[in-house]
Amino acid sequence: MIGTIVRKEIAANLLSYKFFIVICLASLLIATSFFVMARNFKGRQADYQLIKPKAGEPIAVLPPNPLSIFAKGLDDAMSRSFEVSIIGINVRAGQQSGNVVFSFFPSPDFVYIVKVVLSLVALLFGFDQFSREKEAGTLKLMFANSLSRATVLAGKWLGNFLSLAVPFLLVTLLGIALMSLDPALRLSGPWLGRLAMLVALSLVYIALFLSLGMFISTVTQRSASSLVILLFLWSLLVFVLPNLGTLLARQFVDVPSVRALTEKRGQIWTREALLRFSDKTDDIWVTRIKNMNTEFDQMEEDYRNKFDRLVRVSKTVNRLSPAASFVYASTEIAGTGIGEEGLFKREVIRYKNRYLEDIRSGIKAHPAFVYRYRSIGRVLAEGGLFDLAWLLVFNIVFFAAGFVALLRYDVR
Amino acid sequence: MMKILITKEVRNHVLSFRFLVTLLLLLMIVPITTLILTNDYVRKQDDYARRQTEIQNYLSRYAHFNRIGNVIAPSQPPVPFYTLVRGLSADVNLDAFDNDPLPVMFPLIDLTFIVAILLSLAALIFAYDSVSGEKEDGTLKLMLANGLTRSKIIAAKLSGGILTLMIPFLVSLAVSLIIILLNPRVAWKGSDWGTLGMIVVGAVIYFGLFTCLGILISSRHQSSSSSIMTSLFVWVLVVLIIPNLSPYLASLLRPTPSQIMINREAHRLGDTDRDALGWKMQQEKTAALLKDYPVLAPVSRMSDKDIQDAINKDPAFDRAYRVLRKEIEAVWREANAIQGEKIRQVRDDLNRKVGSQTRLSIILSMASPLADLTYLTSDLSNTGMRNLKHFETLAGGWGQAYRDYANAKMEELRAKDPTLDVWNTPVDISDMPRFQYREEALTGRLKSILAPMTILIILTIILFGAAYISFIRYDPR
Repeated sequence: MIGTIVRKEIAANLLSYKFFIVICLASLLIATSFFVMARNFKGRQADYQLIKPKAGEPIAVLPPNPLSIFAKGLDDAMSRSFEVSIIGINVRAGQQSGNVVFSFFPSPDFVYIVKVVLSLVALLFGFDQFSREKEAGTLKLMFANSLSRATVLAGKWLGNFLSLAVPFLLVTLLGIALMSLDPALRLSGPWLGRLAMLVALSLVYIALFLSLGMFISTVTQRSASSLVILLFLWSLLVFVLPNLGTLLARQFVDVPSVRALTEKRGQIWTREALLRFSDKTDDIWVTRIKNMNTEFDQMEEDYRNKFDRLVRVSKTVNRLSPAASFVYASTEIAGTGIGEEGLFKREVIRYKNRYLEDIRSGIKAHPAFVYRYRSIGRVLAEGGLFDLAWLLVFNIVFFAAGFVALLRYDVR
Repeated sequence: MMKILITKEVRNHVLSFRFLVTLLLLLMIVPITTLILTNDYVRKQDDYARRQTEIQNYLSRYAHFNRIGNVIAPSQPPVPFYTLVRGLSADVNLDAFDNDPLPVMFPLIDLTFIVAILLSLAALIFAYDSVSGEKEDGTLKLMLANGLTRSKIIAAKLSGGILTLMIPFLVSLAVSLIIILLNPRVAWKGSDWGTLGMIVVGAVIYFGLFTCLGILISSRHQSSSSSIMTSLFVWVLVVLIIPNLSPYLASLLRPTPSQIMINREAHRLGDTDRDALGWKMQQEKTAALLKDYPVLAPVSRMSDKDIQDAINKDPAFDRAYRVLRKEIEAVWREANAIQGEKIRQVRDDLNRKVGSQTRLSIILSMASPLADLTYLTSDLSNTGMRNLKHFETLAGGWGQAYRDYANAKMEELRAKDPTLDVWNTPVDISDMPRFQYREEALTGRLKSILAPMTILIILTIILFGAAYISFIRYDPR
């Protein structure tokens, strides 16, 4: 029986104006996003060829992450050029730092499209499932048969999920396949695995909004009110909560501003350089550099600890919204998340310290900087799995709530 | 008659479920956001004060002329409007080692964001069934059966929609203003109220535009369920996609050369290359001077103390040494000027290309009302691109004053002691010119919002015209 309901739902969707509109929108956006982000990636790759350090140069630059096409995250921060010298790390920001319009609007990558547009699309699939059938009078006809409410709910959920997920997967996979025709964009095995996880995660996220839509549909009598509630809930979950949560967390955790740190570094370095002029022996210079670096590293360590606490608090607050969980998990899987960026910067500091050791012991040839992304197992263990489970919990809770509400639903 | 129609529209909306939800949502979100932003503004004030004290402490002990340029570099203090509008104030700091990734992951929320996303969505939710809904209810033909012109009906629908939306917007804004005014640390000036007035005007035009869009779409559809789908489709495109795509498209159309590469090059020109050139010129100059002043011959082997002794003992050496110092400084000034010119050329080329890309991004994004509103509010509130330029101008003016001061001071030090290394000697500079940030006058800012405001108004008029034409042709049966 459930098969019949699934087929009916799919057939009804296929014929509807709604389906036509949302599939057009989703396909258009995913295709545009892939095209634009892939071209941007190629531009950054060409840039990397110009700036990558020559043998022996103590410069740490990471090539742009291929998955940044899909989840840009913090890739701009990670692919900066970190030039190491005895007085510290000189940082230069890449291509996008000049054009200020980039900082007004978030990147239109795959994660953004899924987070914002596909969640809306999923809601539009779910919002009128019961209220519409009730308004049309078909709901009571359905229940006049020997159909359990659980079967109807499951059938409807599955039918709508399939009519959403199949076109979505087709467009995404087609886009990825087209992209891989370009050898510069072809993903190697591990990255492909991560991308598959990203797409799977997107499906869980979309399913969640479908469940939410169906749940609200079962607690409202009219589809118009269901839509109003859902649109506002959606804007709350996707835009307001995650963006407000980060700011809220800052009120609880006292973290020095990054500008203050940068200024402090400038002060330490100029102070030590000045003191050096009062005593020009080389020994003093060596100790001064050592002092300076110890102070820098302590400052960074202190900031890291506080910042990590801020991240933890803001994650806890933000996870009220599944959109935040989705962003955390997808960027970490892609290797462009907050956790990865922190580890990367730690590695840059380690590289700098090894460089100083080398200088002290008179080694002239400096090894190249190497950074290995965390393994996918570690990503999952350090929060990825939690976010995935959290999304599933949201899913189950909304579905169960929908079921309970449906049991009490007056179909007349 | 018009009054009755508008009253009917407003009453209809106000009694509806969607109005209740909008009101509650805005009453909750706008004040909470303001509260958090106000706290954050106070925190930023403290941080700024602390940083300034640190700089003063530093200067009282380690002030010298060689490297303090980066220590005393001016920085933007928080402006009181941070309590409502954040613009570009997020401290991402990508060009320093200490950067803050959080604003990149989750952009800050402020009044602009709430108006841009929530109120535009609300405007569409209010307007999507304004025509098709009345048709479905059968009230449209009843209305038209009276002696009512269609232009009156549609004008009433627009004004009714805007008036209704103004209620939750203004009420929630009023609550926010109370929060701001109650905070003793926030001092708004008269011009801030003028700014707020203009922002409110901009916001009203903005959601008026979306009301027109909603009516237009509604009068192109026979059923309200398809009208809402089209409305959302258009909304997603113009609000959530076009602005975000625009800088990417602009960077494809007008690429810039590698900034890291050019900055490295500029650094090399001003650092190692400058030193090499300076030393070479210094040696040449010294060799030339030795011919005129043989007394200077041993100077390269003398320590600072020996030189001081020689100056005290031998007036001829003193004279010659003064000439030498002066010439060497002139040589380094020349080296700096030569390299500075090279750097300027490299940078100018980059800046021209980046500027052209930025302009194209702005033009492309201005097709979206959201971007227009964003530019309008951020420029008005001194948190946008215009303020970046304004700050640069102020900083440039201060920089010139500081350089003049430093040169005069160094001249003074040299006159006292010609052997002194004036660059690397601790010095009292408590009387140096201080950087003072002043917000740009409101008149200047008003000029800068002409473009986005005009586009918003023109778009509204076009949409209204289109809605009017569609409605005239609408079949109410």
